[in-house]
Amino acid sequence: MTTEDGAAAPDGASVADAARDYLAGTIWAQVDEALSGITATPVTDEAERSVIDLIVRVPPREVVAALRALRNPEGMNFDYLRSLTAVDLEEEGVDVVYHLYSVETKHNVTIKSRLPVDRLVVDSATAVWRAANWYEREVGEMFGVRFDGHPDPRNLLLPEEMTDFFPLRKSHPLAEIEVLQGEGIAYEEGEL
Amino acid sequence: MVANTHEQEFETQELLINMGPQHPSTHGVFRMVLGVDGEVVTDVVPHIGYMHRGAEKLCETMDFRQGVGYMDRTEYLANFNAELSYVLAVEKLAGIEVPERAQWVRMILCELNRLSSHFMFTGAFGTDVGVFGTAFVYSFREREVLLDLFEEITGDRLMYAYFRPGGLAWEVPDNFESRVHEVLLSAERGIRDMDGLLTQNEIFLARTKGVGAISAADAIDWGMSGPSLRASGVPLDLRRDDPYLYYPQVKFDVITGEAGDVFDRYHVRLKEMRESVRIIEQCMERLADGPILPERLPRMLRTPPGEIYERTEAPRGEYGIYLVSQGGNRPYRLKIRSACLSNLQALRDMTIGHYVADAVVILGSIDIVLCEVDR
Repeated sequence: MTTEDGAAAPDGASVADAARDYLAGTIWAQVDEALSGITATPVTDEAERSVIDLIVRVPPREVVAALRALRNPEGMNFDYLRSLTAVDLEEEGVDVVYHLYSVETKHNVTIKSRLPVDRLVVDSATAVWRAANWYEREVGEMFGVRFDGHPDPRNLLLPEEMTDFFPLRKSHPLAEIEVLQGEGIAYEEGEL
Repeated sequence: MVANTHEQEFETQELLINMGPQHPSTHGVFRMVLGVDGEVVTDVVPHIGYMHRGAEKLCETMDFRQGVGYMDRTEYLANFNAELSYVLAVEKLAGIEVPERAQWVRMILCELNRLSSHFMFTGAFGTDVGVFGTAFVYSFREREVLLDLFEEITGDRLMYAYFRPGGLAWEVPDNFESRVHEVLLSAERGIRDMDGLLTQNEIFLARTKGVGAISAADAIDWGMSGPSLRASGVPLDLRRDDPYLYYPQVKFDVITGEAGDVFDRYHVRLKEMRESVRIIEQCMERLADGPILPERLPRMLRTPPGEIYERTEAPRGEYGIYLVSQGGNRPYRLKIRSACLSNLQALRDMTIGHYVADAVVILGSIDIVLCEVDR
């Protein structure tokens, strides 16, 4: 698989060539082999890719299967979950991002999955790495993503009863600036 | 694990004990609820978030230069290391070439910061173990010498904001080299003192050997990093395995432990300090005159769209910055990967089955900074 937009662009052939050249310098061939049977698309577009690591997109339904396949000690052996986070893309949905590392081979790969706005649900990766536990709790409280099968989905950093707003969403405003008025504290009108 | 003692012949009732958030042994604002059966811990539930200030959200509203200050306020014991991760991420994304001198100075400051951070650890940890107010005072004597140097360079004891995307804020003072040599001499003395005070100390060994052990496989699975991971025998050091700055050009050893217990976590840190001294000495030989910022640096720094996950080896482990840019002068999303958060997650595994008194020692041994955990 190369790029999806390759054929449509006027200089389609050169875009596809550039994508192939970029992937040849990454570990995509090995990752592709490890992910056989899973819909995986490498990110080759220059505006989206990472400066140092390979990014692979996987649909939400297959994320945990993909992670488990990559974790396999016989294969790529990505045994270390560096970080798990999310990026809010507003109406396009929420990207859940997994940064994996292999202690043995020292390879890095980033797995991304786009969740649609009306269905922010993905299976929990806690069964693959225990490290995912707190990371998923944080993404859950900050973005409102539900991780199915998480053993303890309470809030992590926010107060436990604050379950109805999600601070790291782009739609969530920063706190308003407090201005001193006389002896009390009042709020300035409008948002920051 | 606790040996079979006479206590187990008596029936005891399970009890929940709340520890923190205002408790001197929790190294900040951290709370854990311990389930105990007699003197033995049966369950640990950590509660974090008391220091959550939304640094990630705030960074989205600030341009790339302003973000540096926020890094200081997360990892306040190793600020240079935290700033480094952030500026490296911005530089790599924007494609800025950093002058050689700036890189060497950054390396020296980061390793000095590792020393000051580990001195903080040995001091506080000695107090956790129980009887060594002396260790605390000796450690802080050395740490203060380091902080004096940082203050001379940056103007502040703790919140430096000295690194800039592209290089350094300003040139180091003229007497920088002689001052670093002075400070290294005192640090070496401090390391020797700590070694003498703690490493061979009978009581210290009794409190730390075989306590809070975690296996290499478990430590990796929990995502632990830094000295706490290396103590379990995993030779993962990003300075060597995922190199940045000029670390490939200097010689140093990656220190690992064997048992992964509290003693190893202490000992790895102490040995690591000697390696830091070694690195700084090599850096000082290579430090030459030159510019500290690139010649052409835009007044308002913008990056092309793209993303990066930049990671560096901070004193507590992997300090990662995940920076997503959609073009423009500020991050679209900035995530701070905290080393302490992952290390703290493994606390439950390490503590269950040990005495209540050891819970404090085990917590101390992973050397948490709560501002970094909560961000």
